[in-house]
Formats: sequence, structure tokens, C-alpha cells
Amino acid sequence: MSRRILVVEDDQDTQAYLAKALREAGYTVEATASGRDGLVHAIGGGFDAMVIDRMLPDLDGLSLVRSVRAAGIQTPAILLTALSAIDERVNGLRAGADDYVVKPFSFAELSARLEAVLRRPAETKAEQTQIACGDLELDLIARTARRGDRRIELLPREFQMLEYLMRRQGRVVTRTMLLEGVWDYRFDPRTNVIDVHISRLRRKIDAEGEQALIHTVRGAGYKLAAAI
Amino acid sequence: MTPLLRSATLRLILTHLVLVAISTGLVLGFLYWRVGGVIDEEQRAVVDAEITGLLDDYGRDGVPALAAAVQSRLATPPDRDAIYLLADTSGQRIAGNLSGWPATLAPGVGWATLSLYRTDRSHPTRISARSVRLPGGELLLVGRDVAARAAFDRTLGRALVWALVAILGLAVATGWLLSRLVRSRIAEVDGAARAIMDGRLDRRIGLRGTGDEFDRLASTLNAMLDRIEILVSDLRTVTDSLAHDLRTPLGRLVRHLEGAADDGLPAETRQRRIESALGEAEDVLATATALLDISRIDAGLGSDQFGDVDLGRLATDVSDLYEAAAEDRGLRIAVRTEAGLMVRGHDQILALAVSNLVDNALKHAPAGSIITVSTESRDPHAGPALVVADQGPGIPEADRTRALDRFVRLDPSRSGPGTGLGLALVASVARMHGATIELGDNQPGLRAELRFPAGRGAEV
Repeated sequence: MSRRILVVEDDQDTQAYLAKALREAGYTVEATASGRDGLVHAIGGGFDAMVIDRMLPDLDGLSLVRSVRAAGIQTPAILLTALSAIDERVNGLRAGADDYVVKPFSFAELSARLEAVLRRPAETKAEQTQIACGDLELDLIARTARRGDRRIELLPREFQMLEYLMRRQGRVVTRTMLLEGVWDYRFDPRTNVIDVHISRLRRKIDAEGEQALIHTVRGAGYKLAAAI
Repeated sequence: MTPLLRSATLRLILTHLVLVAISTGLVLGFLYWRVGGVIDEEQRAVVDAEITGLLDDYGRDGVPALAAAVQSRLATPPDRDAIYLLADTSGQRIAGNLSGWPATLAPGVGWATLSLYRTDRSHPTRISARSVRLPGGELLLVGRDVAARAAFDRTLGRALVWALVAILGLAVATGWLLSRLVRSRIAEVDGAARAIMDGRLDRRIGLRGTGDEFDRLASTLNAMLDRIEILVSDLRTVTDSLAHDLRTPLGRLVRHLEGAADDGLPAETRQRRIESALGEAEDVLATATALLDISRIDAGLGSDQFGDVDLGRLATDVSDLYEAAAEDRGLRIAVRTEAGLMVRGHDQILALAVSNLVDNALKHAPAGSIITVSTESRDPHAGPALVVADQGPGIPEADRTRALDRFVRLDPSRSGPGTGLGLALVASVARMHGATIELGDNQPGLRAELRFPAGRGAEV
């Protein structure tokens, strides 16, 4: 059964684009331009996630999320904002949103983050000590990595990046997600720093003649997968 | 200019006039009352003395001596207002200048004022007098003709009224002058303000060189206007730069997209042009984001999210983020930090500032050189500092202050990489944290020092 997404966005173009792209990605979409309508829908329930614009003409996104949470509804919510992420993100999270995407965003970014909030509950279930992807194995206790018989020497930060990718294997991870997940930075350094880190990591993980595990997803980010 | 009736100065002057009128009236009224009183008292004292003297004469030689004394006093010319009457027991005149004892006057009752006929006058006159009955039954009256006194009262009253009028007239005149002065000075300020509102930003209020309150107010206002003019011209520079920095990449973006829209294009070329357009869009976004960040930081947004930030860890983490990119360019980032240097701040905003400094160093450092990121706390009075130093071309001393302004790219063609906002953002972050940013010479290269206030962080 396809997941139901509520989209509250007052800009008609963005709303139409989002609805179309989400439907193409296999979601069922309910879209509205009004914050009040959005609130009614959200409280009515039945959604797997909500995508809410931060600035709406009638009821702003923050208040909407706050009201929904006050009504005891925990549906994951992603706020879209044209404001700077540096300080606004904290306000969004305080209001009860699960994630924050700064406009203009690529659909790949939103989609990756939507995936993340939809899967979040499953992740926290088990305390894993090992993660594997194909013949790549990560020991979370010893903080070591191995591919087949080959032991891989990783710097602490490289280990963190790999762990982040492996926990989300098969899914797209964007550069900003890596920056947030590994460095805890919410700003965009606007240079290719993450790409350089990834290509270094890739040189260590995917040696000559081995099957590539770290894949570049054009226009979106990276994906760790045994097979595409 | 305000209509006269609504003018604040007129109201002030009217109030002033009323107060002057009331106080002058009170003073003059009191004067009038006291002067009259003093004259009355003096006359009564004279009359009392006369009676005492005459009674002495009577005591010595009886009625004839008294009559002689009265006669002689009346015959001595100077005092024309003196009144005497010595009458026998039936009220018939023995001596004096009254025709007979007034029927209405009972002797010995003290002071009385009444209208009587003097022997030397054809009209009755007002007389104020004291009378006594002598031991032999004769009657003695000594008094003063008060007609002159009434005339004096009138004269005094008229004089006082004239004084009042003169004072009020003066008050009106000074008030009018004062009001004219104030109104003309205010009109100058008003005129200058209107001229400035009409766009003549260089207009100033004229000084009279008197150094008075108006001159002081005018020079304060002029100083304020100077400041505003500088701010406006700064803003104009920023807007012009913004227009340049946004229109240029937007223009290129449009050209790339127009090129891509060409029908007969091979798919590869089209793809390349679209990618170039995306690159330009990224540049525009970077500029917009940096400007938004600066304005939010300047507005102090996020200062409610301040916490303890470990300066050494901040330096290490940011260096770590850029380390791979630096190595790609043949650069090395050397990190030297001390443990436990805590400052109060916004972790994300501080990291953004430090990453801007490191990014800047990366852009300008020559291949093979070292970028140093270090913390410093040698001077306990100066507070801890984070220093980013490179071995690039540096910034000439004369340009260092300017380099912290928005949109200043020291390359005049503005064609180098970057938004020209990096150091401006660092300066805003420093202001937000009560810190200072100082650009210095790394010999060679740029040394950027972000110094935090002393005693704010908790030493751990």
C-alpha cells in the first residue's frame, strides 16, 4: 500500500511540482494551499508524513505543526522554509517538526529526507553491533571495517560517514544529510568538501576490481548499496 | 509654519504673561496697601503726640493756656492739614479751625473719620481725628485733614496701575521677540528636514556660532544627518553591489538557458549549457543565502540558542571538514588547539564563521603551503581567540578594515570566486558574540583572529 503524504504549500507551482513528483515516486498525495485546511487534514489523520511550508498566508507552518502535536498526533513532519537554516531549524524542531528543508531544494533532497523520517521508527529498534552491506562489514564496537578479507583503515570521521551510509543503505543520502549527520552542521559550506570526503572514502572501500558499493546519485547525493 | 494660535511658543508666552500679571499685581497691591498703612500710622502717632503736648499745657495753666497753644499751632503756617478744636462743655468753639463740635461725635471714643466744615474752607472736608474730654468738661479734638491723603492714594494707585501696564507691555514685547526667535530657529530645522525629505541628503542646519542651545541642537542633528548620509550611501553601495552580483550570474544563466533552448543542438551541448545555468543559479543562491544569514545574525536571531562552545573542538571539527578538500589542492591544514577553552555562543553560527575563514584561506593559499587553525589564550585579560592563518597573498594593511564590509572583493573586476560576503559574515558573527575579528599579516599571508571577550566562557 502506498504511503499517504500531506502537502501544505501555498505557492501553486511548488505545490503542483511536489505533488507530481511525490506521486511519481509512488506516494499518495493530498495537497492544500491553506494552513487551516492543512490542520484539519492533519488532525483528521491517516497520513504517513506531512510536508509543510514554513510561511503560509493564514496559519504559519510552525503554529500548524505545534497545533498538530498538541492534538497528540505524531505524524512525521518536514518543514520547508526560505529562511536560513542556521537558527530557524531549531525553532522548527522545537515546534515539533522532524526535519527541515531549505528552499530552494531539489526534489531528491526532500525525497531522501522523507524516506528518512518515514523509516526512523524502525532504525531505533535494535542496538546493532554490526552492519553489513554485501561483503563490507562494519564492527560498531571495535570501530573497524573489513571488506571480504581486506581490513580497511579508516579515520574516525570516515568511519562515521560509512556508518551513516550503511545505516541507510539502499537509500539516497544527500550532502546536507551527511553534513548534518556526521558533522552536525546545518549550514551549507557551498564547496565540494563532502564530495572530496566521499571520494576518499570510496578509494578505501571500493578497491580495484571490487564491485562498487558507494554510488553517486546524480543531482541528489550518494547511495551505499550492494546492487543497484 | 504653524499658525500663530497653535504655536507652542505663543502658548508659552501667554502663560508667562498671565503669571507676570498676577505676580506684579500682587506686589503692587501689597505696596499700595502698605504705603497707605504706613502713612496712616505716622499721622496717628503725630496726632497722639499733639494731644499729649496739649494736655501738658492744659495741666500747667488750664483752658486759657490750652486755647493759646491751639492758636499758636494754627498760626504757625507749614502744616495745612492739621485740625484742632477746643470747645466748651456745650460744644461751642473756644479755639481751633473747626466751626463747632460735630453733633455726631462723642468725645473720647478714639479714632473717627467724618466730614466737617473747617473755618477756613467753604466745603466740608474729610477729617480723621481723636478727641478727649478734659477734666473740666471742655472738649479737645486733634485730627488731620485726609483729603490730601485720599488724593495721594489716588496718585499712588494710578502710578501702580501704570507700572503694571508698563510691565505687561514689556512682557508682551519680550515674549513676541522670543517667539520670533524660537520660531525662526525652528523654521530653519524644519526647512532642513523638509529638504532632506525631498532627497537633498547633503542639506544641513545652519549654525549661528552663538553656541546656544539651538546651536547645540543643530550640531547634534547635523552629526546625526552625517551618520545617516553615510549609512544611506553604504546601503547604496550594497544595493549596487547586490545588483551587480545578482544580475551578472542571472544574465549568464539566461544566456545559458537561451543557448540550451536552441532546437538544432546536440543533446550533449544542451546538457552542458543546462549544467552551466545550474551553476550560475547556485552562485545567486549562495549570495542570497549569505546575505540572509548576515542580516539574521545582525538582527541577533539565534542568540536565544547560545550555549557553551569548546573553541578547540570547533577548530578541529571545521578543519576536519575542509581537510580532504585542502589535500586535493595540495594544501595542508595544521590544527593547534588547547583543551577546555569554552566560549558562549551559537555552535552553528560560530562553525559557519570559522568555515568561512578556512574556505577563504583555501581559496587564496598557494599549493604546497600550510593553513594553520589554532586557538590562543595566552593573554588572560583578552579572552580566548581562534586564529586562521594562510600563506597566500594576504590583504594590504590599508584594505583590512574595508575587507570586512559587505561585497568588498579586493579584486576590482569582481571576477574572482566567492560571494564577497565571507568576511562580512564573519564580522557579523563576531559582533553577535561580543567578539572582535582582526585581520593581520601572517608574513606572508592573512592572519584572521576571532577574539572572544574575556571572562565570558566557563573555564573547564
